[in-house]
Amino acid sequence: MTMVAVPTRIEARRSIWLAPCLLGLTILAGTAIGETRLPFETVLQTLANHLWGAGYAVDGIDAGIIWSYRLPRAIVAACCGAGLALTGVVLQALLRNPLADPYLMGLSAGASTGAVLVTVAGVGGGAVSMSLGALSGALLAFGCVVLLAHAVSGGAGGGRAAQSAAAIILAGIAGSQMFNALTAFTIARSANAEQARSIMFWLMGNLSGIRWDDVGPCVAVSLMGVALCLWHRRGLDAFTFGADGAASLGINVRVLRGSLITATAVMVGVLVSKVGAIGFVGLVVPHAMRFLVGTRHDRLVPASALAGAVFLVAADVISRIIVPGQVLPIGVVTALVGAPAFALILVRGART
Amino acid sequence: MRIEVQQLSAKIHRTPLLKAISLAIESGELFGLVGPNGSGKSTLMRCLAGLQRPAAGRVLADDSDLARMPARQRARRIALVAQQADTTERLTVRQAVELGRTPYLSPLRGWGQADGAAVERALATVEMTGFADRLWHTLSGGERQRVHIARALAQDPELLLLDEPTNHLDIRHQLSLMAVVRELPITRIVALHDLNQAAVCDRVGVMRGGRLVAAGPPHEVLNEALLAEVFGVAATRHAAPDGTPRLHFSHAL
Repeated sequence: MTMVAVPTRIEARRSIWLAPCLLGLTILAGTAIGETRLPFETVLQTLANHLWGAGYAVDGIDAGIIWSYRLPRAIVAACCGAGLALTGVVLQALLRNPLADPYLMGLSAGASTGAVLVTVAGVGGGAVSMSLGALSGALLAFGCVVLLAHAVSGGAGGGRAAQSAAAIILAGIAGSQMFNALTAFTIARSANAEQARSIMFWLMGNLSGIRWDDVGPCVAVSLMGVALCLWHRRGLDAFTFGADGAASLGINVRVLRGSLITATAVMVGVLVSKVGAIGFVGLVVPHAMRFLVGTRHDRLVPASALAGAVFLVAADVISRIIVPGQVLPIGVVTALVGAPAFALILVRGART
Repeated sequence: MRIEVQQLSAKIHRTPLLKAISLAIESGELFGLVGPNGSGKSTLMRCLAGLQRPAAGRVLADDSDLARMPARQRARRIALVAQQADTTERLTVRQAVELGRTPYLSPLRGWGQADGAAVERALATVEMTGFADRLWHTLSGGERQRVHIARALAQDPELLLLDEPTNHLDIRHQLSLMAVVRELPITRIVALHDLNQAAVCDRVGVMRGGRLVAAGPPHEVLNEALLAEVFGVAATRHAAPDGTPRLHFSHAL
């Protein structure tokens, strides 16, 4: 035991330092790289000016791009990547389904319905912002899915745990379809072509509207998510042999499942409302990390959060520079990278 | 641990699966549970493990009501090896057994030496120490079942519940598994399909249609009349060469 434990502990201690450094570097890179490439030096000087008033002479336009535009965008991208990957870890563990992803619970469908109702149908009369509409829609859809899952699994009384996992997944599919239909209905009825295009753009993930105001909530919910998942790491491990297995190991399955799924749903709801539905991060990153660091959640949780953050910042950079003069929806980039990666993981997983 | 079941009834989706079962199992006893498919063995096991809430009646573990026991407390005293517990995760045998220490760990109390020792002890008991670093999905059915038992033993339980542990195992693994179970010094309740395996238990309980229809020493309970009535088979009892009684089944009635 000790022979195994000692090197992993050293490794863990080293990675505690490595993780924030890697994350910081990624965010810096995300800030420096773009249509106009700015030198790292300028980025660091601008940061120093803003953080402790260092007083370097930096070109005003460059400083504006770095501080007001790219930095908040990179930070929010990192938060979204971490949050989506974590939610994937949690749902895949709790529902024992390798295809579970953050949008399983109807969140993206609900968010898009909410956003469309606000922007296209004019619900709220201009007093409600698009992201507030999206957040309400996401949480409403999540509520519907939970109620439906509860009804399907036979209420509080008795369905077996495995059945209730299946019920959640089926309820999520049904709920998503219904809210997607509502979105399509609203667009078909009242949107013009330009609105439809901008909605589609938003649905595929769009970070261009991100400002400092958005950073606070995103950082808060993703830190909460990381902390909560680390706190419950052993509970997540206990689901390895299914919900009954977890229950016989002393885990209160109903409480843990309910609280973790609700917490991650709120987290994803906030993130989706800021940036739209970015696919494949929550599905692919946890699987990739299981290959790299194993299935134990004490490592899988931080590794997935970090990898998700790095991946999404990189995807955002790619989405900005790959087509000159145009920004692609980030969801297009994550899907183009994510879908083949997922296929590769499936094939490799089948072989080993 | 002594376990006592008082007038226990259980329902799933309003279908009654257990009807007024009363039973007491003494500390250190090896109790076999037999009955046809759907007779309620698994449901009773789930009630005894605290996974299924009784609709009526109660389960007492050393005089404390199981329904009122906190889940962690319960998992330190009662371990269950369920019937179909498999995983697609790539984890090693040792990691699977380490899960058994979950009820002793908390977010703040990390893995300690006592936990490691309990895992090694459990692996040794089921003779799987040499397999500790093997991956779960490379194991055979018999080996997996042993790992499940090791995981349950790592919980340091006073009561071990085994739900048809010999299912899908070849005869050699069936016998060696039952030999492991027989040697354990704690209270054990084993649901079994093979009635001849049930004959090695201290006592057996026979279930039919959610009721416990008989309980007692195997050679008294498993007689021709009961086997015909409960299982619907014609059976005769012989003495094996070593003198122990053996059941021979000739045809379905």
